Amino acid sequence: MRAADLTTAAVLAAVGVLVLWDALRLGIGWSTDGPKSGFFPFWLAVVLLACCLGITAQALRRAGGVPFVARQAIGPVLKVLWPATAAVLLMQFVGLYVASTLYMGFYMRWIGRHSWPAVVGMSVGFSVVTFLLFEKWFLVPMPKGPVETWFGY
Amino acid sequence: MGFENLFLGFQVALQPYNLFLAVVGITLGTIIGVLPGLGGANGVAILLPLTFSMPPTSAIILLTSIYWGALFGGAITSILFNIPGEPWSVATTFDGFPMAKRGEGGQALTAAFTSSFVGALFSVILITFFAPILAEIALKFGPPEFFAIQLLTFSSFIGLGGGNPLKSLVSILLGFILASVGLDIVTGALRLTFGLTDLMKGFDFIIAVIGLFGIGEILLTMEEGLSFKGTVAKMNPKVVWETWKILPRYYRTFIRGSFIGFWMGFKPGGATPASFMSYAFAKRFSKHPERFGKGELEGVVAPETAAHAAGGAYP
Repeated sequence: MRAADLTTAAVLAAVGVLVLWDALRLGIGWSTDGPKSGFFPFWLAVVLLACCLGITAQALRRAGGVPFVARQAIGPVLKVLWPATAAVLLMQFVGLYVASTLYMGFYMRWIGRHSWPAVVGMSVGFSVVTFLLFEKWFLVPMPKGPVETWFGY
Repeated sequence: MGFENLFLGFQVALQPYNLFLAVVGITLGTIIGVLPGLGGANGVAILLPLTFSMPPTSAIILLTSIYWGALFGGAITSILFNIPGEPWSVATTFDGFPMAKRGEGGQALTAAFTSSFVGALFSVILITFFAPILAEIALKFGPPEFFAIQLLTFSSFIGLGGGNPLKSLVSILLGFILASVGLDIVTGALRLTFGLTDLMKGFDFIIAVIGLFGIGEILLTMEEGLSFKGTVAKMNPKVVWETWKILPRYYRTFIRGSFIGFWMGFKPGGATPASFMSYAFAKRFSKHPERFGKGELEGVVAPETAAHAAGGAYP
């Protein structure tokens, strides 16, 4: 828990510094029509940094003790996390539908160990249905890539 | 005067055609509410063309039913998947999801829709009688009063959070920071976008919630070494009936939730603070405060009653 607390506090403190930096650019004082745009983010960042210091101090005073995540548990967690991250990155280049087809197919085959026909049928079918649902009926545009352009969307 | 209007309203609403539209609306609304990313307002906007050929009263009944249905749909995802569809269903997840995990999803859902009904009915009746007086009070609400309400709400988060108050505070601050990304609505300046056009609109509530609650829940399930099973709610008339037999025991929570919701609800933005405050009050007055957050029926009743009382009171 201690290492996790320290890491989280450090990451959040970095976020705080980022916010602080942008708030200073926007101006943190008062202008003629009230607080400037950076006023609220500035104080949020200041309190965030103070809290991060507090959490760090608490974590340092405490002994190491229980680990945040057990060694045998981290495997399955990463197995879920990295394909999802990869799918999100992929989405930027090939669009939502192709990325989700690949993600579902990969996941069904790798974790679920389903047969190939089931994998292909399910992943392609699901993406086609969501495509029709969002693009055709609800008219909600989603990120699209070259494949959709090729089909004329 | 008030009574006659109320009676007339019910008379119109209970005509078979209007009643049928209400059922259709609630069904459609529930489906919309369960779909991630579509809330009550979107649902109403999408289905608005359906009403063009209807008499105005029926159209309003249909749209209102869709809206209420969507609110209830939000409660379904809160309870079964721990993903709140709307800000005011967040408090419902605290006890609804643990109940569903224990296999009591049916009870939680029954409690949710019963409390929604009680809260909404209560505030609709009250608003009919007191609308003119309340409009006057609501107009007197200025920035200091709104600030006070929000401060109270966020303070109650820290009180409710359990665990480490510093960490609760950090989460709140992080939420505020995420919310301040994008166009500053007062000055029009771009905040925290760092030149990225995608950040101009800021972070959508639904997206943040799915990321924080949904993905967090999946990762936690994996860590605990279980395969992701979702939760199954057994809904049948027996469960509903059994729950209805227990619910009158929480009449104090119902009354308190309705009043809190009504009081917070007749001004804009009241439903979310109302649901959290009602939850906090229920916990404070309960004989077993330690059971809250672990799947207590009262913890579903309190926020749902208040949120829907607030929804009904907001004209």
